[in-house]
Amino acid sequence: MSAWGVVKTVFFTGLTLAFFFVIWIYNPFAHKETYELPEDVTKIIEDPKAALEGRNLFKQNCASCHSVRYDGMYLLSVETKPEWEKILKTMGRPIIEKKEGKVQVKGYYLPRDVYEAVALQDLENLKASFGKVPPDLSTIYLARGPGYLYQFILDPQKVLPGTSMPKLFFPEYDKEAPQKVAKIVAYLRSVSEPPPSEKAKRTVMGVVTVGYFVIMGVILWFYRKRLLEKMGLH
Amino acid sequence: MLRKIVDWVDERAKVRELYKAQMVEYKVPKNLTFPYVFGVLALITFALQIVSGIVLIMYYKPVIAHAFDSANYTIMKEIDFGWLFRHIHAAGANFFLAIVYLHMFTGIYYNAYKKPRELVWIVGWVIYFVLLVTALTGYLLPWGQLSYWGTVVTTEIPASLADAPILKGFFGAIGETISVWMKGGYKLEDLALGRFFGLHVIFLPLVLLGLVGIHLFLVRAAGISNPEGYEIDKKSEPDKVVPFHPYVTLKEGAYAMWYLAIFFFFVFFYMSHFLPADNFEPADPLKTPPHIAPEWYLLGFYEVFRSIPSKFWGFVAFNLILLLLLLLPFLDFSPIKSARRRPLFFVMFIVFLISSMALTILGTMAPTPTNAKLGMFFTALVFLFFLSLPVISFLEWGWYKARGGQT
Repeated sequence: MSAWGVVKTVFFTGLTLAFFFVIWIYNPFAHKETYELPEDVTKIIEDPKAALEGRNLFKQNCASCHSVRYDGMYLLSVETKPEWEKILKTMGRPIIEKKEGKVQVKGYYLPRDVYEAVALQDLENLKASFGKVPPDLSTIYLARGPGYLYQFILDPQKVLPGTSMPKLFFPEYDKEAPQKVAKIVAYLRSVSEPPPSEKAKRTVMGVVTVGYFVIMGVILWFYRKRLLEKMGLH
Repeated sequence: MLRKIVDWVDERAKVRELYKAQMVEYKVPKNLTFPYVFGVLALITFALQIVSGIVLIMYYKPVIAHAFDSANYTIMKEIDFGWLFRHIHAAGANFFLAIVYLHMFTGIYYNAYKKPRELVWIVGWVIYFVLLVTALTGYLLPWGQLSYWGTVVTTEIPASLADAPILKGFFGAIGETISVWMKGGYKLEDLALGRFFGLHVIFLPLVLLGLVGIHLFLVRAAGISNPEGYEIDKKSEPDKVVPFHPYVTLKEGAYAMWYLAIFFFFVFFYMSHFLPADNFEPADPLKTPPHIAPEWYLLGFYEVFRSIPSKFWGFVAFNLILLLLLLLPFLDFSPIKSARRRPLFFVMFIVFLISSMALTILGTMAPTPTNAKLGMFFTALVFLFFLSLPVISFLEWGWYKARGGQT
């Protein structure tokens, strides 16, 4: 290749890679909010044991207004309805969990329209007191990320002024408050993110797949080289 | 055993003859450069999209009460490997458009749209247009906030025709009709979702499949272009051509493997751009998100639309760019092919390339007055590229004649 050819190749390749880097990976021009997350809090959020404690904390503090349908967690007032168990078992689908090799039913997933029909009055009541129906939190971790959730639950008005979400945890009276919030975020994370064993499996799968294609490419390349030498075409 | 089966088939279907004629005796230029691989990469991505789409369609429910949950619960959590197919489909959509853009820019750079390949370019343009519509319709299906509001904005763009300086009523009626046809009503509801779903999973893929077939046939009929811009006479210059198989198939096969390695790296380890966080919030018609912008592959057009102060002229401008792209073979009537031999065209190509990238990146930024001015500037440069083509061609015809008709 001539020197001019090298210049052109480097220019076009570099420009294309830089463009896709900005568009797909890191865009320094786009505005993005960041929320502070202390290191010990990050540790709690990523701990599967904390997620189990977080589930109980969620039930005590949050489940009177928020449901987590993907985890079989519904409004407390709805769960006390006499027909509730029957509705879950006839209209819902079991949420299967594998624990120590054993398969068990963790709860029931109820389709949105069925749930909203059953919980109609409860949701209307919440709307009357808060101005809007508090959202279902099944995918909130994926939508907002741990930093936002942690700061928001700790002090809703600071992050989103004017929100009708009340402040429930007071670090000035309860020393454990930040840890409790972190555990709740850990629970929300466990609903959205695959469990660690599943994640490890996916990583292995990814490495094997990518490795396979890289090696196949190299093999094809050298096979072609040898073949063309034999044919006198190189 | 296998040989006997092939013999049996061959006796009836003449497959060996077909293979020999189409793969081995089919000769292509020897000097094809790396960018010529983008065509086959687009084909591979299309196949990936169809396979992953078939899996997703088995679990997806095109009803607004269930759409979000079927994508995020059933496919992502309930079904084994559902996540994998959704990741492939979402990343595949982005890669498909990216490869198609690279393919188009390659075609423009080597002037692969010129005689005898005008039809290849025109059919390719139709594929690009149908692909954009497929991407738009598919974007609504997960029924998240981005899906919903992105589609609201897109379906309202034709309504900007009502901003026309003359015949307001006439243009307004056209715009509203298009907008209502897209949505099936004035609100984005079940009807719109059903329409978009039907188009996305049956009609548009079939159209694409047919068009891709025609595109490939036309490439074979007209012959592959050549980076040097000469038409090679395969009979009198046998040293300049090579058999398609194994010379090109193995080379592009190796590139395809490395492309798939990059693709699956994204699928397994980096999906945060292809499954954006905001779309994990269910669509809420009462809550407008602060930043609404289309996906990156439309941002260039969106920036043209947004930076021009009048909505009507913005609408006209971005449609005009699409139309000028279609008319490229006729705007550029110079007999000389390939940017390698056309210095003026080379300069204008770089202007066009950088302006399109700049417009796309400006589209991701906040709509400040400075950005709007920059947007107008780069829009003007894009039009300058198209308008310069007839001038360059005119000059080159002069040189062509002065050299006695030698290219």
